[in-house]
Amino acid sequence: MCNLHNGEGAQNLQEGQCEVTAETSQPVGFVQEKQLGDHEKTLKAHKEGKPQKLLEMNGHTPVPHAYDYDLIVIGGGSGGLAAAKEAARYEKKVMVLDFVTPTPLGNSWGLGGTCVNVGCIPKKLMHQAALLGQALQDSRKYGWQFTEEVKHNWMTMTESVQNYIGSLNWGYRVALREKNVTYENAYGEFVGPHTVKATNKRGVEKLYTAERFLIATGERPRYLDIPGDKEYCISSDDLFSLPYCPGKTLVVGASYVALECAGFLAGLGLDVTVMVRSILLRGFDQDIANKIGEYMEEHGINFIREFVPIKVEQIEEGTPGRLRVTAKSTKGNQIIEGEYNTVLLAIGRDACTRKIGLDKVGVKINEKTGKIPVNDEEQTNVPYIYAVGDILQDKLELTPVAIQAGRLLVQRLYGGATSKCDYVNVPTTVFTPLEYGACGYSEEAAVEKFGEENIEVYHSNFWPLEWTVPSRDNNKCYAKIICNIQDNERVIGFHVLGPNAGEVTQGFAAAIKCGITKEQLDNTIGIHPVCAEIFTTLSVTKRSGENILQAGC
Amino acid sequence: MAQRLVLRRLLSLTPRTLSPQGPLAPHGRAFSTSAGCRNTFNVQDGSDFQDRVVNNPKPVVVDFHAQWCGPCKILGPRLEKMVAKQEGKVLMAKVDIDDHTDLAIEYEVSAVPTVLAMKNGDVVDKFVGIKDEDQLEAFLKKLIGA
Repeated sequence: MCNLHNGEGAQNLQEGQCEVTAETSQPVGFVQEKQLGDHEKTLKAHKEGKPQKLLEMNGHTPVPHAYDYDLIVIGGGSGGLAAAKEAARYEKKVMVLDFVTPTPLGNSWGLGGTCVNVGCIPKKLMHQAALLGQALQDSRKYGWQFTEEVKHNWMTMTESVQNYIGSLNWGYRVALREKNVTYENAYGEFVGPHTVKATNKRGVEKLYTAERFLIATGERPRYLDIPGDKEYCISSDDLFSLPYCPGKTLVVGASYVALECAGFLAGLGLDVTVMVRSILLRGFDQDIANKIGEYMEEHGINFIREFVPIKVEQIEEGTPGRLRVTAKSTKGNQIIEGEYNTVLLAIGRDACTRKIGLDKVGVKINEKTGKIPVNDEEQTNVPYIYAVGDILQDKLELTPVAIQAGRLLVQRLYGGATSKCDYVNVPTTVFTPLEYGACGYSEEAAVEKFGEENIEVYHSNFWPLEWTVPSRDNNKCYAKIICNIQDNERVIGFHVLGPNAGEVTQGFAAAIKCGITKEQLDNTIGIHPVCAEIFTTLSVTKRSGENILQAGC
Repeated sequence: MAQRLVLRRLLSLTPRTLSPQGPLAPHGRAFSTSAGCRNTFNVQDGSDFQDRVVNNPKPVVVDFHAQWCGPCKILGPRLEKMVAKQEGKVLMAKVDIDDHTDLAIEYEVSAVPTVLAMKNGDVVDKFVGIKDEDQLEAFLKKLIGA
């Protein structure tokens, strides 16, 4: 801003300014390179608070305009990478900072985030390993004969899984490179407005500035905060690359992570115990959660209910070693002890938001949970800082949700799009030994929202044809839909407990998005013989109390 | 893939991926007796690549591979064998793309295995994926002859 006083120079300047700005009276106001107008217009804008708004729109406190990047993404996981690749499509200059702080046991991994490295991908592959074990048992009834006893080699499986993950890590690096997204394997943290510090594993620090930022730092497993937890226990961050078979395992927790891991470990032939503080699968339909627990128990997994570990000690070192776990009842003073080769903690995950300098830029987080509240456009309280993925408050912690939110956010920022991420009716699947697919309301949530008298629950057991020959698990699989009576019996909740639950649920999720009603479902002809066809012939309601047990086919 | 600091290297030892000059001494396995050993080496770092590949008066085939890559484990030994057959007229450099990502990026490696034929510091030929022995022989002869 230059000061114009009277004088020769001033006269020339004034005339020059008139030419350039095409305004007729002085002074001409500018805010952030946007011309506000001449003296009159500037005064008016000032009264309306326009300059302030222009400043706030870009979250500016005076910082040089030439930023290093248009967008810096902190976190190279599902949400971060999807957003970065999308932004590159709009020819924006993008940087991704991804860094894995090693686990207490020294484990770390490559680019791609939790899902690819220590989540969905290795989990599903190991779940498949367990299913194949079951299939081998079933195969005898189908005529397959093998003379050798069938056993499982943990190292062979882990090596295969890790090899696949390695190819994915590389694939992500190539994808970023091909789209001209700059990637640095460095820990990003805010140090001031529009500025992050990136520290690589050798401790070298660099500063970068950007017009906008996207926080996608995800979460890490929580520890118990008891003696011996960090020294002797492992988490899901360690399990999928454990260089030795875990042996007799205690899984602490009742989340889907705990149950899925317990499930495949048992399926591989290991002695597994699950220690649960209160209920299974909090937040999921409890009717189904209990059926999942029962199935696991019937298949040899031990459950210790209403206990929490208070101490873990090492009896013997080794790979695996021997550990003693002491636990206390949640309902009294009873203390129990147990010996295990491995203790896997799966009691929850904490958002990685406390050590990235959010206080330096004023981003508010929920102090208790560490999660970041955002508006429906994934914007934090600081206008130029956005967030996606597991760190968001009150949103589903799922890879496809993070990807969708990241992509749509970028399309809105750079592509002029207006679509917001739809967090309603997001389908999910839990890959426990008996898989569970769901979309929409759980029964409890539906009752709470609509009232028991306004919903109709149709349900049935079913027996997959493939399980009949080996005479396995009749009347364990279960199908349930919840309909809103006041809205044409629209299907508001879909639940399936059975094999290939994820594959079954995906299609119905699309139908629910289209607003399918019970009548339309009934009018859909089933495919035979498959499990999913049960949904086209549901007739018994829970209200009627009629028997849903199947008596063979 | 997961990296556990020391264990990974030890667990991944296979006779073929270690050159006799390598820092980790193999325990209790016989050295390969084929001439392949002398004509094949693992690239240690960027300047090693500069010295032994770019500035090499002899032509060099560079095998970009990865630990997690199945086809690489087939192509590697096969290529080494065919290089050995050329009796020293061509050398082979092996580059693990996870250990030497900068090099892999510099030479625009996307998929593995990627094999570059280098003469006087220039890339004169290249292929991606597996080839059989005859195809490899032709590839090598072309590099030596041209």
